[in-house]
Amino acid sequence: MSNQEHSEFDANKVFIALIIATAIEVAWGLKMPGPNWWVWGGLITIAFYKGMLIFQYFMHFKFEGWIVKGLILPTPILIMIVVGAIMPDVGFNQRLDYELTDMADPVTGEIHRIGQMDVGEHESGGAPAGEEGEH
Amino acid sequence: MSSSTHSIAYDPAVDAPKPHHPVYDYDSGPPVDRGKFAIWLFLATEVMFFTGLIGSYVVIRTGAPTWPDPSSRLAVDLTAFNTFVLIVSSYFVVRSLQAIQKGNRGALLKWLGLAILFGSFFVGVQVYEYIHLVHEGSTPNVDLFWSTFYAMTGFHGMHVIVGVIWLICVWIAAARGKYSAENHVRVELAGLYWHFVDLVWVLLFTIVYLF
Repeated sequence: MSNQEHSEFDANKVFIALIIATAIEVAWGLKMPGPNWWVWGGLITIAFYKGMLIFQYFMHFKFEGWIVKGLILPTPILIMIVVGAIMPDVGFNQRLDYELTDMADPVTGEIHRIGQMDVGEHESGGAPAGEEGEH
Repeated sequence: MSSSTHSIAYDPAVDAPKPHHPVYDYDSGPPVDRGKFAIWLFLATEVMFFTGLIGSYVVIRTGAPTWPDPSSRLAVDLTAFNTFVLIVSSYFVVRSLQAIQKGNRGALLKWLGLAILFGSFFVGVQVYEYIHLVHEGSTPNVDLFWSTFYAMTGFHGMHVIVGVIWLICVWIAAARGKYSAENHVRVELAGLYWHFVDLVWVLLFTIVYLF
């Protein structure tokens, strides 16, 4: 590795941070009352923190030269474009097009509604924060 | 006699075929290993692939009037343990790379072997989970929850299987003594792929099992 001398990091510390973050994440996801934006925001934050640790240290991205960083640069930009493209469907979609039991016909692509489904007493809203079943 | 023999002898300095392109006394390639360049480019495309999958899931989920609580349908505790297993395997790959960077082939084999073991265990648990769910009747054609669940975890599972096979190939090459402190870029390439698979799972676990 060309930049081996720069890539020395304490893998044990990163590993312990990942394990602790995972434990917090599981506890956060299962014990917190929800779903709501607060719970979801916490989960996303912890997941991104873990992802960054793996990306920066385990994948050595932090120690890479300009060429690898330049190579990766278009990816977050493209992700932003994808996020921007789906935001109208995610943020402003009041029609709630997708029943849980909708299935696409594999031949024609036509959407079939195959009936109401019992999602049980643990049912949670597809939309966040107490909006379940209101649409 | 001797002079005629001398005149037809092959002299590499004179008779060797000349290259048809300019020869430089420096490496004109990019300032990074070609394999590394290629794997990062490949991983960038993989990021977009999983972005598409996760984006589709988010659109479907936020467009559904109701969505079941994942913990009521999935064994979150088992999968949390499996997440731990995958992170540990990633850590072992880091240790294996650090070992060969110091020229320690024995440690490379040990850490890489452990990573393969833990990676295989992850796949085994996922197969067990699938079998259990299918026996319960929770197949991909039941509803959108299961469709998206199998699509995302299935594609990731295939990546894990490829990663395990790749690590096994590297382990075999390492056992044959092909890597050293100066030559270990293939260990690093396999490691990069494995860490990427781990990274994707960290996000998928949160989105599929905890949201």
